[in-house]
Amino acid sequence: MITLLQFISVAAILGVTIVIAWLLAPYVTGVFTGKSSPLDRLFGPLERAVYRILGVDPQRGMGWKEYFFAGLFVNVAQMALAAVILTFQGSLPLNPMGFKGLSWDLTFNTVISFATNTNLQHYAGEATLSYLSQMTAIQFLQFTSAATGICMGVAFVRGFVAGSKDLGNFYVDFTRSITRILIPFCLVAAVILVFLGVPQTISGYRAVTTVEGAAQSILVGPVASLVAIMQLGTNGGGYYGANSAYPFMNPNPQSNILEIALMLLLPTVLVFVFGQMLGKKKETIPILVGAYALFGIDLAIAFIPAAPQGAGIETRIGGFYSVFWTVVTTAVTTGSVNTTLSAMHPLVILSAFMGMLIQSTPGGKGVGLMYMVMYVVITLFVVGLMSGRTPEYLGMKITGRDVKLVMIAFLVHPLIILIPTVVAYAGGFAQAVGVGTNSVGFTQVLYEFTSAAANNGSDFLGTAANTPFFNVATAVVIFLGRYVPIGVLLALSGSMLGRKRNPEAGLKTDGLLFSAVLVGSILILVVLTFLPFLAIGPILAYLQGHVNFFG
Amino acid sequence: MADSGAMSGAALPDAPRRAVNGRVLKDSVVRMSPGRLVSNPVMFIVELCFFLVAAMAVYPRGFVPVATPSETPFYVEVAVTLLVTVWFSTLADALAEQQAESTARSLRRLETSVLSKKVVTKEWSRETVPTPSKDLRKGDLVLLENGDVVPLDAEVLEGIAMVDESLMTGESTPVRKAPGDALIGGARVVSDTLTARVTANPGETYIDQMIRMVESSKRPKTPNEQAVTIVLIGLTAIFTIIILSLLGLSITLGLGGDLSVLIALYVCLLPTTIGALLPAIGLSGVSRLYGRRIVAKSGRAIETAGDTDVILLDKTGTITVGNRQAVEFIPFEGHTESEVGEAAFLSSWYDDTPEGRSVIRLAHEKGFLPRELNSLAPSEVYEFSASTRTSGIKLGRGFGFILPKGDKSGKDRGRLRRKAAMSSEEEEAASEYEILKGAPDSIRKLSGNVPPGFDKTVESISAAGETPMAIAKNGEPIGIIRLKDVLKPGIEEKVQAVKMMGIRPVMITGDQPLTAKSIASEVGISEYVPMAKPEDKFRIVQAEQAQTHVAAMIGDGTNDAPALALADVGLAMNSGTEAAKEAANMVDLESNPAKIIEVVLLGKQLLMTRGAVTAFSIANDVAKYFAIMPVIFAAAYPQLSAFNILGLGLHSAVLSALIFNAVIIPLLIPLSMRGVKFRPASTMSLFLRNTMIYGVGGVVVPFVGIKAIDVLISVI
Repeated sequence: MITLLQFISVAAILGVTIVIAWLLAPYVTGVFTGKSSPLDRLFGPLERAVYRILGVDPQRGMGWKEYFFAGLFVNVAQMALAAVILTFQGSLPLNPMGFKGLSWDLTFNTVISFATNTNLQHYAGEATLSYLSQMTAIQFLQFTSAATGICMGVAFVRGFVAGSKDLGNFYVDFTRSITRILIPFCLVAAVILVFLGVPQTISGYRAVTTVEGAAQSILVGPVASLVAIMQLGTNGGGYYGANSAYPFMNPNPQSNILEIALMLLLPTVLVFVFGQMLGKKKETIPILVGAYALFGIDLAIAFIPAAPQGAGIETRIGGFYSVFWTVVTTAVTTGSVNTTLSAMHPLVILSAFMGMLIQSTPGGKGVGLMYMVMYVVITLFVVGLMSGRTPEYLGMKITGRDVKLVMIAFLVHPLIILIPTVVAYAGGFAQAVGVGTNSVGFTQVLYEFTSAAANNGSDFLGTAANTPFFNVATAVVIFLGRYVPIGVLLALSGSMLGRKRNPEAGLKTDGLLFSAVLVGSILILVVLTFLPFLAIGPILAYLQGHVNFFG
Repeated sequence: MADSGAMSGAALPDAPRRAVNGRVLKDSVVRMSPGRLVSNPVMFIVELCFFLVAAMAVYPRGFVPVATPSETPFYVEVAVTLLVTVWFSTLADALAEQQAESTARSLRRLETSVLSKKVVTKEWSRETVPTPSKDLRKGDLVLLENGDVVPLDAEVLEGIAMVDESLMTGESTPVRKAPGDALIGGARVVSDTLTARVTANPGETYIDQMIRMVESSKRPKTPNEQAVTIVLIGLTAIFTIIILSLLGLSITLGLGGDLSVLIALYVCLLPTTIGALLPAIGLSGVSRLYGRRIVAKSGRAIETAGDTDVILLDKTGTITVGNRQAVEFIPFEGHTESEVGEAAFLSSWYDDTPEGRSVIRLAHEKGFLPRELNSLAPSEVYEFSASTRTSGIKLGRGFGFILPKGDKSGKDRGRLRRKAAMSSEEEEAASEYEILKGAPDSIRKLSGNVPPGFDKTVESISAAGETPMAIAKNGEPIGIIRLKDVLKPGIEEKVQAVKMMGIRPVMITGDQPLTAKSIASEVGISEYVPMAKPEDKFRIVQAEQAQTHVAAMIGDGTNDAPALALADVGLAMNSGTEAAKEAANMVDLESNPAKIIEVVLLGKQLLMTRGAVTAFSIANDVAKYFAIMPVIFAAAYPQLSAFNILGLGLHSAVLSALIFNAVIIPLLIPLSMRGVKFRPASTMSLFLRNTMIYGVGGVVVPFVGIKAIDVLISVI
């Protein structure tokens, strides 16, 4: 249980984050609706230069297929480039520590993981990657994958905007989300992080002699900028294997709170952008209420047991904020961790599962919004009929094809989580890395694939999962979990373009009543799909009296 | 459901029957064959599960490690319950089908196979050839004499006759048919002779279309049904993945799960309730509409009716009883009420319009019976003409009024004439004179000058939304007849219900704006289109649709046809022309335009019922999980009994959930066939109400139901 003070601090952090997101949303909306801004003078020439080099006509709109495949093409090209750098980092510059190239399967896993905004890491960065790899393959991909997510979300919304003719131009959105959103936001965040004590240097690890006379290597590097983008971009991939539990990534309680807020920021901004782009600000209500009500339920579950102490918990941060962080990082699919998950109570892990299975509380930036609209469409279809009308969303009739698309998007998740989990045990791959067949072991394996499918990236297994099976299996799951739902939901959005809109005489979606029904329906859908597996995983661990996952 | 003027009349086709009889039972069993069942994917899977569990019961050794030979009695119980589940679903189908078949049968009765007199022209003369109706073709001429049955839908070319349409419409009084009128196949001529042209080939009448639709095998799924089916398939896919994964984990993790329990969980999770009832719900929607004597040409039209947000209501026939009725005679200075009344009486003698008849009725009620009826004869009758906008009569010496020929009103007038004769004591030497009645401005033009009070009276009547009609005797205006629209009983409530559901009623009338406004506001309609011609309906529908509204309208004339075809829901009157019936997507056999409102309510009810059973079916899964989850891995992990909040026994938990899953199907059959009950209310309150009942109720009810069955099982 939590104290009143803790409750107030959680509420205050969330409240302030939502208010800041609300204040930033009009700017972000302006970026994607082409509203002129004083920043045009600064970014305009740079962006035009980029368009000229790429040979892009910024005025030309794209349909959903073209938009999606442009994004996929850019992402795959980046994966290939990053794969070359990681494989050959031993022969490339900026490698003062002389790290060797990565194995093929770890490379495969890492590039897909980072290009998809997942950042599942089967390696420890400080002992594996050169500066070049950190800055290009890792940090660069954190920007581009975050930008890809934002673009897809924005394009998705455009399809629902009355009068849209196309979903926009991917290259333009991509460029602008980097230049006008990610770089300026990260700059501000990085400066604050430096003030809070996060290092930013490229001068190599420092060798020092401690007061006790022992030699120690201080693992510094361009950390602040990485932390800024990993949290803001809901990436989660750390500079160090210990991620945000490492003092240089998250030195103190203040930085811990700042980083929690940074994670929640962009997904929440996009929730407001949704209503603003539609020109119906009230349509943000169900998305926002749905996301934060479910997030509140997650928090409530996680805060039931006493905050963990001792092994695996950073005393700088404390058990309570570690739990809060864990719920946030899974709710927005960041996956950065400030503690070892093994130290967490089964109910905290259950709550983390909920965040990753729902994927829209408020979820990763862009995709979280897409998933929430997917839930809105399913809910509207199932319960909307009860109002005596063919279900409509924003005045548009929900057709059989729409239902088919959202069902496919929904079906992807159970498929890519459950099948690999069964295979991992059936093939003995899980047992091979020392994972048991009991509730603790099963939780760890299920978590691995859930985290991969949700493009979260937090995991129990860490470097232990650096085996060909887990590298390849999770990479495939990550890839499908990222692109299939995005593609399918963009197809849904694309089919909304120019669709006949009825005056909204049907079910009103912009109120609390529908929001409540939406929350209930999401819970039922997710519970129906995953309850048996959660039951023999974290719930069973809880019932068996486990208080953490060390055993 | 708003009261909807349930069907009545002895000659109507049989009411849909719902009773389970031998034929239904037999049909439901036949439908259980896998080949038939494959069209219903959810129930097909349940049947496959039955075969699997049956195999476990017969040879449990073959299923180790997911089966235990000592559990054979349990496998038998599970298998039987699964089979019963399938049977309940086919029973629902069979019942709905029986209802539909009885509808189709009663429709077929309308298509009588008769030997008709086909008219053929041979060398300058016409002859009739006896021809079976199935050999008649569109365009053929038939002679219909007293007692003949109209073989197919047709149009009168020559003659006037009374036709009995009671079999189709339930209206027992024969209807007068004149050239241009439509005849319905199956009607019977009860007086005089008609020549008619066949307007539909056999098998092409709208009755045939309806029959095709109720025969479910030929009935295409509506777009909404298709979408619901996709959801069901999607859920089935999800649950299939879940169960296969659980099976895999059970083996690899050594959880000791039993295949039969997993299958029980699978079947419980599958949307069997809605899967079993979906066809019945769609079919019964059509049957319910037919129960109100409305023939829909497609299931889609019924669903669209539920989405209607604009209803175009013809004032005449929908909102008001018919035409205007005379309610008062107002004399000008120097004249008496009886003088005006008698003059109005005389001028209306040959006026067979409802207005004319109402003038005579009013005059009679007030005792104004002109003696001229026996002393004078009409030397000239001026029919109403659009150019003068008056009608009238010129009286001269003669032997009294003759009666108009033919219909019922003739008899009434004969009675009146005799009455007048008795009351007139002496023959007065009356001279020839002329009476005109018509629109006040026309009378003013004809008369030149008007008495004082003319304008004031006319204005005050018009301002009240009523219609003044001036009467002039020999060119001198003597008074005004006040005509009033009479509202149909209950129309205000219906309009109110429509508005409450977020539907905009728009009144269409040929009246002057002032009159239109008055009537509209009297029934609570704020939008009206005055001085509209039938052709304007097309324009109105077009304008509404341009603003993306879903429009419903009624029509009967040929000039309504384009609008009926354009409208999202077009309800044609059976008494209307063939073109109108062809263009519309529904036909009301009773020709009651006010039924358009019921069509909309029925459409909503159909969608609501489908939604309610779907939501209920999905919500049920929560409780079933709680019942079966503790049992699946009870052997390996007894701790999971924490889920057993109902305190169920190990075996009886599975059976209770399965039995609940099965019996809920027949329990919901009446709801599916009858439709969800609802009172007109706003979309949001309907949604809230149904969500509470079927959504939240769907979560709670199975907890109670499963526990109750568990208690029953333990008692036995």
